[in-house]
Amino acid sequence: MSMLDIWLGILQGLRITAAVTAYGLVFAVPFALVFGVAQFVTTGLTRFLVTAVIEFWRSSAVVVLLFVFYYVLPVMGITLSAMTVSALVLGLNSGGYASQAVRAGLQSLPAGQREAGMALGLSRPAILLLIELPQALVAMSPTFVNNLIQLVKATSLVSLVTLTDMTFRAKEISQTEYDPVAIYSALLLAFFVVCYPIALAGRWLEARVNPERGAPRGI
Amino acid sequence: MLDRRALPTSTLQPFPLVRIDGLNKWFGALHVLQNIDLTLRPGARVVVCGPSGSGKSTLIRCINGLERFQKGTIEFEGRSLGKSDRDAAMARRLTGMVFQSFNLFPHLTVLANCTLALRRVLLKSAHEAEEIAMRHLTAVHIPEKAQAYPAQLSGGQQQRAAIARALCLDPRIMLFDEPTSALDPEMIKEVLDVMIALAKTGVTMVCVTHEMGFAREVADEIVFMDQGSIVEHASSSDFFSRAAHPRARLFLDTILSH
Repeated sequence: MSMLDIWLGILQGLRITAAVTAYGLVFAVPFALVFGVAQFVTTGLTRFLVTAVIEFWRSSAVVVLLFVFYYVLPVMGITLSAMTVSALVLGLNSGGYASQAVRAGLQSLPAGQREAGMALGLSRPAILLLIELPQALVAMSPTFVNNLIQLVKATSLVSLVTLTDMTFRAKEISQTEYDPVAIYSALLLAFFVVCYPIALAGRWLEARVNPERGAPRGI
Repeated sequence: MLDRRALPTSTLQPFPLVRIDGLNKWFGALHVLQNIDLTLRPGARVVVCGPSGSGKSTLIRCINGLERFQKGTIEFEGRSLGKSDRDAAMARRLTGMVFQSFNLFPHLTVLANCTLALRRVLLKSAHEAEEIAMRHLTAVHIPEKAQAYPAQLSGGQQQRAAIARALCLDPRIMLFDEPTSALDPEMIKEVLDVMIALAKTGVTMVCVTHEMGFAREVADEIVFMDQGSIVEHASSSDFFSRAAHPRARLFLDTILSH
Protein backbone atom coordinates (compact mmCIF):
# COMPACT_ATOMS: atom_id res chain seq x y z
CA MET A 1 0.00 0.00 0.00
CA SER A 2 1.46 3.32 -1.03
CA MET A 3 1.55 6.37 1.22
CA LEU A 4 -1.20 7.89 -0.93
CA ASP A 5 -3.41 4.84 -0.53
CA ILE A 6 -2.92 4.94 3.22
CA TRP A 7 -3.81 8.59 3.24
CA LEU A 8 -6.94 8.14 1.15
CA GLY A 9 -7.91 5.23 3.34
CA ILE A 10 -7.65 7.39 6.46
CA LEU A 11 -9.60 10.21 4.83
CA GLN A 12 -12.53 7.80 4.39
CA GLY A 13 -13.01 8.43 8.12
CA LEU A 14 -13.15 12.20 7.60
CA ARG A 15 -16.91 12.09 7.08
CA ILE A 16 -17.39 10.69 10.61
CA THR A 17 -14.85 13.09 12.12
CA ALA A 18 -16.69 16.00 10.50
CA ALA A 19 -20.08 14.65 11.51
CA VAL A 20 -19.11 14.21 15.17
CA THR A 21 -17.64 17.72 15.19
CA ALA A 22 -20.70 19.33 13.62
CA TYR A 23 -23.19 17.35 15.71
CA GLY A 24 -21.03 18.05 18.79
CA LEU A 25 -21.29 21.79 18.13
CA VAL A 26 -25.07 21.45 18.29
CA PHE A 27 -24.54 20.54 21.96
CA ALA A 28 -21.50 22.69 22.65
CA VAL A 29 -22.66 26.12 21.47
CA PRO A 30 -26.01 26.30 23.31
CA PHE A 31 -24.46 24.77 26.44
CA ALA A 32 -21.60 27.29 26.47
CA LEU A 33 -23.93 30.25 25.95
CA VAL A 34 -26.67 29.21 28.37
CA PHE A 35 -24.41 27.99 31.18
CA GLY A 36 -21.76 30.70 30.74
CA VAL A 37 -24.43 33.40 30.96
CA ALA A 38 -26.22 31.60 33.79
CA GLN A 39 -23.06 31.41 35.83
CA PHE A 40 -22.57 35.14 35.23
CA VAL A 41 -26.06 36.33 36.19
CA THR A 42 -27.15 33.91 38.92
CA THR A 43 -26.24 33.93 42.59
CA GLY A 44 -26.51 31.61 45.57
CA LEU A 45 -27.93 28.11 45.17
CA THR A 46 -28.81 28.53 41.47
CA ARG A 47 -25.22 29.51 40.70
CA PHE A 48 -23.97 26.53 42.69
CA LEU A 49 -26.14 24.16 40.64
CA VAL A 50 -25.11 25.78 37.36
CA THR A 51 -21.45 25.47 38.36
CA ALA A 52 -21.97 21.83 39.35
CA VAL A 53 -23.33 20.95 35.90
CA ILE A 54 -20.46 22.78 34.17
CA GLU A 55 -17.89 21.07 36.37
CA PHE A 56 -19.37 17.63 35.70
CA TRP A 57 -18.84 18.04 31.96
CA ARG A 58 -15.59 19.93 32.19
CA SER A 59 -13.82 17.92 34.85
CA SER A 60 -14.72 14.38 33.80
CA ALA A 61 -12.41 12.37 31.55
CA VAL A 62 -13.86 12.26 28.05
CA VAL A 63 -12.91 8.61 27.49
CA VAL A 64 -14.65 7.58 30.72
CA LEU A 65 -17.75 9.61 29.82
CA LEU A 66 -17.86 7.92 26.41
CA PHE A 67 -17.74 4.48 28.04
CA VAL A 68 -20.32 5.40 30.68
CA PHE A 69 -22.79 6.77 28.17
CA TYR A 70 -22.22 4.03 25.60
CA TYR A 71 -21.96 0.94 27.83
CA VAL A 72 -23.61 1.87 31.16
CA LEU A 73 -26.73 3.75 30.08
CA PRO A 74 -28.10 0.77 28.06
CA VAL A 75 -28.01 -1.26 31.30
CA MET A 76 -30.35 1.36 32.72
CA GLY A 77 -32.61 1.04 29.69
CA ILE A 78 -31.35 4.10 27.80
CA THR A 79 -29.75 3.26 24.48
CA LEU A 80 -28.19 6.04 22.44
CA SER A 81 -26.43 5.58 19.11
CA ALA A 82 -22.64 5.78 19.06
CA MET A 83 -22.90 9.00 17.08
CA THR A 84 -25.27 10.63 19.58
CA VAL A 85 -23.17 9.55 22.56
CA SER A 86 -20.03 10.88 20.90
CA ALA A 87 -21.56 14.21 19.95
CA LEU A 88 -23.18 14.62 23.37
CA VAL A 89 -20.08 13.80 25.39
CA LEU A 90 -17.53 15.65 23.25
CA GLY A 91 -19.93 18.56 22.69
CA LEU A 92 -20.80 19.12 26.33
CA ASN A 93 -17.20 18.67 27.42
CA SER A 94 -16.12 21.27 24.89
CA GLY A 95 -19.14 23.42 25.82
CA GLY A 96 -18.04 23.24 29.45
CA TYR A 97 -14.70 24.78 28.54
CA ALA A 98 -16.29 27.37 26.28
CA SER A 99 -18.83 28.34 28.97
CA GLN A 100 -15.92 29.55 31.07
CA ALA A 101 -14.74 31.70 28.19
CA VAL A 102 -18.25 33.16 27.89
CA ARG A 103 -18.34 33.92 31.61
CA ALA A 104 -14.80 35.34 31.65
CA GLY A 105 -15.63 37.54 28.66
CA LEU A 106 -18.71 38.89 30.41
CA GLN A 107 -16.87 39.45 33.68
CA SER A 108 -14.01 41.27 32.01
CA LEU A 109 -16.27 44.03 30.66
CA PRO A 110 -16.07 47.30 32.60
CA ALA A 111 -19.02 47.79 34.99
CA GLY A 112 -19.66 51.09 33.22
CA GLN A 113 -21.07 49.23 30.21
CA ARG A 114 -23.87 47.71 32.27
CA GLU A 115 -24.42 50.96 34.16
CA ALA A 116 -24.71 52.93 30.92
CA GLY A 117 -27.32 50.44 29.74
CA MET A 118 -29.20 50.71 33.02
CA ALA A 119 -29.05 54.51 32.92
CA LEU A 120 -30.68 54.36 29.47
CA GLY A 121 -33.54 52.34 30.94
CA LEU A 122 -32.69 49.05 29.20
CA SER A 123 -33.82 45.86 30.93
CA ARG A 124 -31.26 43.40 32.27
CA PRO A 125 -31.86 40.87 29.45
CA ALA A 126 -31.59 43.64 26.85
CA ILE A 127 -28.29 44.82 28.34
CA LEU A 128 -26.97 41.27 28.25
CA LEU A 129 -28.10 40.61 24.69
CA LEU A 130 -27.34 43.96 23.06
CA ILE A 131 -24.38 45.28 25.04
CA GLU A 132 -22.54 42.64 27.04
CA LEU A 133 -22.69 39.43 24.95
CA PRO A 134 -21.66 40.99 21.62
CA GLN A 135 -18.55 42.45 23.24
CA ALA A 136 -17.75 39.34 25.31
CA LEU A 137 -18.07 36.95 22.36
CA VAL A 138 -15.81 39.06 20.16
CA ALA A 139 -13.25 39.40 22.95
CA MET A 140 -13.20 35.66 23.54
CA SER A 141 -13.25 34.58 19.88
CA PRO A 142 -9.62 33.31 19.95
CA THR A 143 -10.58 31.02 22.84
CA PHE A 144 -13.62 29.70 20.96
CA VAL A 145 -11.42 28.81 17.99
CA ASN A 146 -9.17 26.98 20.45
CA ASN A 147 -12.16 25.06 21.76
CA LEU A 148 -13.24 24.12 18.24
CA ILE A 149 -9.79 22.78 17.35
CA GLN A 150 -9.77 20.77 20.58
CA LEU A 151 -13.19 19.37 19.72
CA VAL A 152 -11.95 18.18 16.31
CA LYS A 153 -8.95 16.52 17.90
CA ALA A 154 -11.05 14.93 20.62
CA THR A 155 -13.06 13.13 17.92
CA SER A 156 -10.10 10.73 17.67
CA LEU A 157 -11.57 9.11 20.79
CA VAL A 158 -14.87 8.09 19.18
CA SER A 159 -13.21 5.05 17.62
CA LEU A 160 -13.46 3.63 21.16
CA VAL A 161 -17.24 3.47 20.77
CA THR A 162 -17.13 1.83 17.31
CA LEU A 163 -17.36 4.90 15.05
CA THR A 164 -15.26 4.67 11.89
CA ASP A 165 -13.49 8.01 12.12
CA MET A 166 -10.01 8.77 10.80
CA THR A 167 -8.33 7.22 13.85
CA PHE A 168 -10.41 4.05 13.53
CA ARG A 169 -9.53 3.85 9.84
CA ALA A 170 -5.83 4.16 10.70
CA LYS A 171 -6.14 1.26 13.15
CA GLU A 172 -8.01 -0.82 10.55
CA ILE A 173 -5.33 -0.20 7.95
CA SER A 174 -2.56 -0.99 10.41
CA GLN A 175 -4.12 -4.40 11.00
CA THR A 176 -3.76 -5.35 7.33
CA GLU A 177 -0.61 -3.43 6.52
CA TYR A 178 2.13 -3.59 9.11
CA ASP A 179 3.50 -0.09 8.55
CA PRO A 180 2.94 1.97 11.73
CA VAL A 181 5.35 4.74 10.73
CA ALA A 182 3.59 5.50 7.46
CA ILE A 183 0.07 4.98 8.83
CA TYR A 184 0.33 7.06 11.97
CA SER A 185 2.35 9.78 10.23
CA ALA A 186 -0.46 9.95 7.71
CA LEU A 187 -3.02 10.19 10.53
CA LEU A 188 -1.04 12.99 12.16
CA LEU A 189 -0.97 14.82 8.85
CA ALA A 190 -4.69 14.23 8.31
CA PHE A 191 -5.61 15.92 11.61
CA PHE A 192 -3.27 18.80 10.86
CA VAL A 193 -4.83 19.26 7.44
CA VAL A 194 -8.27 19.45 9.07
CA CYS A 195 -7.35 21.64 12.03
CA TYR A 196 -4.98 24.15 10.50
CA PRO A 197 -7.60 25.68 8.16
CA ILE A 198 -9.81 26.14 11.24
CA ALA A 199 -7.01 28.10 12.91
CA LEU A 200 -6.62 30.22 9.77
CA ALA A 201 -10.37 30.79 9.49
CA GLY A 202 -10.39 31.76 13.18
CA ARG A 203 -7.67 34.32 12.59
CA TRP A 204 -9.52 35.75 9.62
CA LEU A 205 -12.71 35.95 11.71
CA GLU A 206 -10.85 37.58 14.57
CA ALA A 207 -9.46 40.26 12.28
CA ARG A 208 -12.91 40.84 10.81
CA VAL A 209 -14.86 41.22 14.06
CA ASN A 210 -12.14 43.17 15.81
CA PRO A 211 -10.30 45.16 13.14
CA GLU A 212 -8.51 47.61 15.42
CA ARG A 213 -6.86 44.97 17.60
CA GLY A 214 -5.68 42.79 14.73
CA ALA A 215 -4.95 39.07 14.61
CA PRO A 216 -1.47 37.56 14.92
CA ARG A 217 0.51 37.48 11.67
CA GLY A 218 2.71 34.70 10.31
CA ILE A 219 1.85 31.08 9.62
CA MET B 1 -24.27 73.03 60.24
CA LEU B 2 -26.14 73.07 56.93
CA ASP B 3 -26.17 76.54 55.48
CA ARG B 4 -29.35 77.41 53.61
CA ARG B 5 -28.80 81.10 53.11
CA ALA B 6 -30.24 82.74 50.07
CA LEU B 7 -31.55 79.64 48.29
CA PRO B 8 -33.86 80.53 45.44
CA THR B 9 -37.32 80.73 46.95
CA SER B 10 -38.72 78.35 44.37
CA THR B 11 -37.03 75.45 46.19
CA LEU B 12 -39.76 75.88 48.76
CA GLN B 13 -42.58 75.25 46.28
CA PRO B 14 -44.76 72.24 47.14
CA PHE B 15 -43.85 70.01 44.17
CA PRO B 16 -40.17 70.01 43.45
CA LEU B 17 -38.78 67.82 40.70
CA VAL B 18 -36.73 65.73 43.12
CA ARG B 19 -36.89 65.72 46.88
CA ILE B 20 -34.28 63.80 48.85
CA ASP B 21 -35.09 63.36 52.49
CA GLY B 22 -32.87 61.87 55.20
CA LEU B 23 -30.88 59.77 52.71
CA ASN B 24 -28.38 57.38 54.27
CA LYS B 25 -26.16 54.85 52.55
CA TRP B 26 -23.50 52.51 53.78
CA PHE B 27 -20.88 50.53 51.84
CA GLY B 28 -20.38 47.82 54.43
CA ALA B 29 -19.28 49.67 57.55
CA LEU B 30 -18.49 52.83 55.62
CA HIS B 31 -21.20 55.46 56.06
CA VAL B 32 -20.94 57.12 52.62
CA LEU B 33 -24.08 59.28 52.71
CA GLN B 34 -25.24 60.75 56.00
CA ASN B 35 -28.69 62.33 56.37
CA ILE B 36 -28.77 63.98 52.97
CA ASP B 37 -31.62 66.44 52.40
CA LEU B 38 -31.73 68.01 48.98
CA THR B 39 -34.51 69.50 46.88
CA LEU B 40 -34.23 70.07 43.14
CA ARG B 41 -36.72 72.43 41.56
CA PRO B 42 -37.44 72.19 37.83
CA GLY B 43 -34.80 74.07 35.86
CA ALA B 44 -32.29 74.06 38.71
CA ARG B 45 -28.64 73.96 37.77
CA VAL B 46 -26.84 72.43 40.70
CA VAL B 47 -23.12 71.80 40.99
CA VAL B 48 -22.06 69.25 43.60
CA CYS B 49 -18.46 69.65 44.69
CA GLY B 50 -16.19 68.58 47.49
CA PRO B 51 -13.06 66.55 48.15
CA SER B 52 -12.78 63.06 46.67
CA GLY B 53 -14.49 60.40 48.72
CA SER B 54 -17.05 62.86 50.03
CA GLY B 55 -19.98 60.96 48.47
CA LYS B 56 -20.75 63.28 45.53
CA SER B 57 -20.90 60.57 42.88
CA THR B 58 -22.73 58.16 45.17
CA LEU B 59 -25.38 60.82 45.79
CA ILE B 60 -26.20 61.39 42.13
CA ARG B 61 -26.02 57.66 41.44
CA CYS B 62 -28.73 57.21 44.09
CA ILE B 63 -30.95 59.68 42.25
CA ASN B 64 -31.22 57.42 39.18
CA GLY B 65 -31.15 54.14 41.05
CA LEU B 66 -27.66 52.99 40.04
CA GLU B 67 -26.94 52.78 43.77
CA ARG B 68 -29.36 51.47 46.33
CA PHE B 69 -29.66 53.23 49.68
CA GLN B 70 -30.59 51.93 53.10
CA LYS B 71 -32.46 54.81 54.73
CA GLY B 72 -34.43 57.86 53.68
CA THR B 73 -36.59 58.73 50.68
CA ILE B 74 -36.16 60.09 47.19
CA GLU B 75 -39.25 61.48 45.48
CA PHE B 76 -39.67 62.25 41.80
CA GLU B 77 -42.45 64.82 41.33
CA GLY B 78 -44.07 63.60 44.50
CA ARG B 79 -43.76 59.90 43.62
CA SER B 80 -41.60 58.04 46.07
CA LEU B 81 -38.68 55.97 44.84
CA GLY B 82 -38.38 53.14 47.29
CA LYS B 83 -35.81 50.47 46.84
CA SER B 84 -37.44 48.18 44.28
CA ASP B 85 -36.32 47.48 40.72
CA ARG B 86 -39.45 49.06 39.31
CA ASP B 87 -38.72 52.30 41.17
CA ALA B 88 -35.18 52.30 39.88
CA ALA B 89 -36.49 51.79 36.34
CA MET B 90 -38.78 54.81 36.72
CA ALA B 91 -35.93 56.96 38.04
CA ARG B 92 -33.74 55.95 35.11
CA ARG B 93 -36.49 56.70 32.65
CA LEU B 94 -36.69 60.28 33.95
CA THR B 95 -32.98 60.93 34.22
CA GLY B 96 -30.09 61.11 31.80
CA MET B 97 -26.66 60.19 33.05
CA VAL B 98 -23.22 61.19 31.79
CA PHE B 99 -20.29 59.26 33.22
CA GLN B 100 -16.70 60.23 33.90
CA SER B 101 -15.41 57.51 31.59
CA PHE B 102 -18.09 58.11 28.89
CA ASN B 103 -19.20 54.46 28.86
CA LEU B 104 -20.10 54.51 25.20
CA PHE B 105 -20.77 51.06 23.73
CA PRO B 106 -17.58 50.34 21.75
CA HIS B 107 -19.17 47.77 19.43
CA LEU B 108 -21.80 50.21 18.16
CA THR B 109 -21.47 53.32 16.02
CA VAL B 110 -22.09 56.70 17.63
CA LEU B 111 -25.49 56.79 15.96
CA ALA B 112 -26.38 53.28 17.18
CA ASN B 113 -25.28 54.27 20.70
CA CYS B 114 -27.83 57.08 20.53
CA THR B 115 -30.67 55.12 18.92
CA LEU B 116 -30.36 51.95 21.04
CA ALA B 117 -32.61 53.06 23.90
CA LEU B 118 -34.93 55.00 21.57
CA ARG B 119 -35.56 51.76 19.68
CA ARG B 120 -35.58 49.31 22.60
CA VAL B 121 -37.03 51.35 25.46
CA LEU B 122 -39.23 53.93 23.75
CA LEU B 123 -39.96 51.57 20.81
CA LYS B 124 -39.49 54.27 18.18
CA SER B 125 -39.15 53.36 14.52
CA ALA B 126 -35.63 53.23 13.10
CA HIS B 127 -36.30 56.33 11.03
CA GLU B 128 -37.67 58.37 13.92
CA ALA B 129 -34.90 57.23 16.29
CA GLU B 130 -32.23 58.28 13.79
CA GLU B 131 -33.87 61.64 13.30
CA ILE B 132 -33.89 62.31 17.05
CA ALA B 133 -30.32 61.06 17.45
CA MET B 134 -29.03 63.21 14.58
CA ARG B 135 -30.72 66.28 16.09
CA HIS B 136 -28.83 65.75 19.37
CA LEU B 137 -25.55 64.86 17.65
CA THR B 138 -25.87 68.13 15.72
CA ALA B 139 -26.49 70.00 18.97
CA VAL B 140 -23.20 68.67 20.37
CA HIS B 141 -21.42 69.48 17.07
CA ILE B 142 -20.52 65.96 15.93
CA PRO B 143 -23.17 65.03 13.32
CA GLU B 144 -20.35 63.99 10.96
CA LYS B 145 -19.25 61.32 13.47
CA ALA B 146 -22.58 59.47 13.44
CA GLN B 147 -21.19 56.47 11.55
CA ALA B 148 -17.87 56.38 13.45
CA TYR B 149 -17.12 53.98 16.28
CA PRO B 150 -16.30 55.41 19.71
CA ALA B 151 -12.64 54.33 19.44
CA GLN B 152 -12.28 56.59 16.39
CA LEU B 153 -13.28 59.68 18.39
CA SER B 154 -11.24 61.93 20.67
CA GLY B 155 -12.10 61.94 24.37
CA GLY B 156 -13.96 65.22 24.06
CA GLN B 157 -15.96 63.94 21.10
CA GLN B 158 -16.77 60.72 22.98
CA GLN B 159 -18.09 62.63 25.96
CA ARG B 160 -20.19 64.86 23.68
CA ALA B 161 -21.57 61.72 22.02
CA ALA B 162 -22.40 60.40 25.50
CA ILE B 163 -24.24 63.64 26.31
CA ALA B 164 -26.20 63.33 23.06
CA ARG B 165 -27.04 59.72 23.89
CA ALA B 166 -28.43 60.74 27.28
CA LEU B 167 -30.42 63.63 25.78
CA CYS B 168 -32.09 61.40 23.19
CA LEU B 169 -34.47 60.05 25.83
CA ASP B 170 -35.61 63.59 26.64
CA PRO B 171 -34.86 63.25 30.37
CA ARG B 172 -36.43 65.48 33.01
CA ILE B 173 -33.09 65.82 34.72
CA MET B 174 -29.51 65.41 33.53
CA LEU B 175 -26.92 63.99 35.91
CA PHE B 176 -23.23 64.53 35.21
CA ASP B 177 -20.69 62.50 37.16
CA GLU B 178 -17.36 64.33 36.77
CA PRO B 179 -17.85 64.61 33.00
CA THR B 180 -14.49 66.27 32.31
CA SER B 181 -12.24 64.50 34.83
CA ALA B 182 -11.02 61.89 32.36
CA LEU B 183 -10.30 64.40 29.60
CA ASP B 184 -7.09 66.02 28.42
CA PRO B 185 -7.08 69.73 29.28
CA GLU B 186 -7.56 70.89 25.69
CA MET B 187 -10.75 68.84 25.39
CA ILE B 188 -12.38 70.02 28.59
CA LYS B 189 -13.57 73.26 27.06
CA GLU B 190 -15.47 71.66 24.17
CA VAL B 191 -17.41 69.51 26.62
CA LEU B 192 -18.08 72.36 29.04
CA ASP B 193 -19.26 74.54 26.13
CA VAL B 194 -21.82 71.89 25.22
CA MET B 195 -22.95 71.70 28.86
CA ILE B 196 -23.23 75.50 29.09
CA ALA B 197 -25.36 75.53 25.94
CA LEU B 198 -27.47 72.75 27.44
CA ALA B 199 -27.94 74.74 30.65
CA LYS B 200 -29.34 77.62 28.59
CA THR B 201 -32.12 75.35 27.30
CA GLY B 202 -33.49 75.24 30.82
CA VAL B 203 -33.05 71.52 31.48
CA THR B 204 -32.55 70.57 35.13
CA MET B 205 -28.92 69.66 35.71
CA VAL B 206 -26.99 68.17 38.59
CA CYS B 207 -23.28 68.12 37.94
CA VAL B 208 -20.51 66.67 40.05
CA THR B 209 -17.42 68.57 38.96
CA HIS B 210 -14.22 70.24 40.07
CA GLU B 211 -14.54 72.84 37.29
CA MET B 212 -15.20 75.88 39.46
CA GLY B 213 -15.17 78.23 36.47
CA PHE B 214 -18.04 76.23 35.00
CA ALA B 215 -19.80 76.21 38.38
CA ARG B 216 -19.53 79.98 38.66
CA GLU B 217 -20.82 80.51 35.13
CA VAL B 218 -23.63 77.97 35.00
CA ALA B 219 -24.76 76.87 38.45
CA ASP B 220 -27.41 78.66 40.40
CA GLU B 221 -26.87 76.43 43.43
CA ILE B 222 -23.73 74.85 44.85
CA VAL B 223 -23.84 71.82 47.09
CA PHE B 224 -20.60 71.23 48.98
CA MET B 225 -20.10 67.78 50.46
CA ASP B 226 -17.54 66.46 52.90
CA GLN B 227 -17.32 62.98 54.43
CA GLY B 228 -20.77 61.94 53.29
CA SER B 229 -22.65 65.03 54.40
CA ILE B 230 -23.83 68.19 52.70
CA VAL B 231 -22.00 70.83 54.71
CA GLU B 232 -22.95 73.81 52.59
CA HIS B 233 -25.80 74.43 50.17
CA ALA B 234 -25.94 77.96 48.88
CA SER B 235 -26.59 80.03 45.83
CA SER B 236 -23.60 80.15 43.53
CA SER B 237 -22.76 83.78 44.23
CA ASP B 238 -22.96 83.30 47.99
CA PHE B 239 -20.85 80.17 47.88
CA PHE B 240 -18.02 81.79 45.98
CA SER B 241 -18.07 85.09 47.88
CA ARG B 242 -18.69 83.95 51.42
CA ALA B 243 -18.78 80.19 51.95
CA ALA B 244 -19.52 79.71 55.63
CA HIS B 245 -18.12 76.31 56.41
CA PRO B 246 -14.35 76.20 57.06
CA ARG B 247 -14.02 72.97 55.01
CA ALA B 248 -15.69 74.64 52.03
CA ARG B 249 -13.46 77.72 52.33
CA LEU B 250 -10.38 75.53 52.47
CA PHE B 251 -11.58 73.61 49.39
CA LEU B 252 -12.19 76.86 47.49
CA ASP B 253 -8.81 78.29 48.49
CA THR B 254 -7.04 75.15 47.32
CA ILE B 255 -8.91 74.72 44.07
CA LEU B 256 -8.97 78.39 43.05
CA SER B 257 -5.35 79.06 43.93
CA HIS B 258 -3.99 77.29 40.85
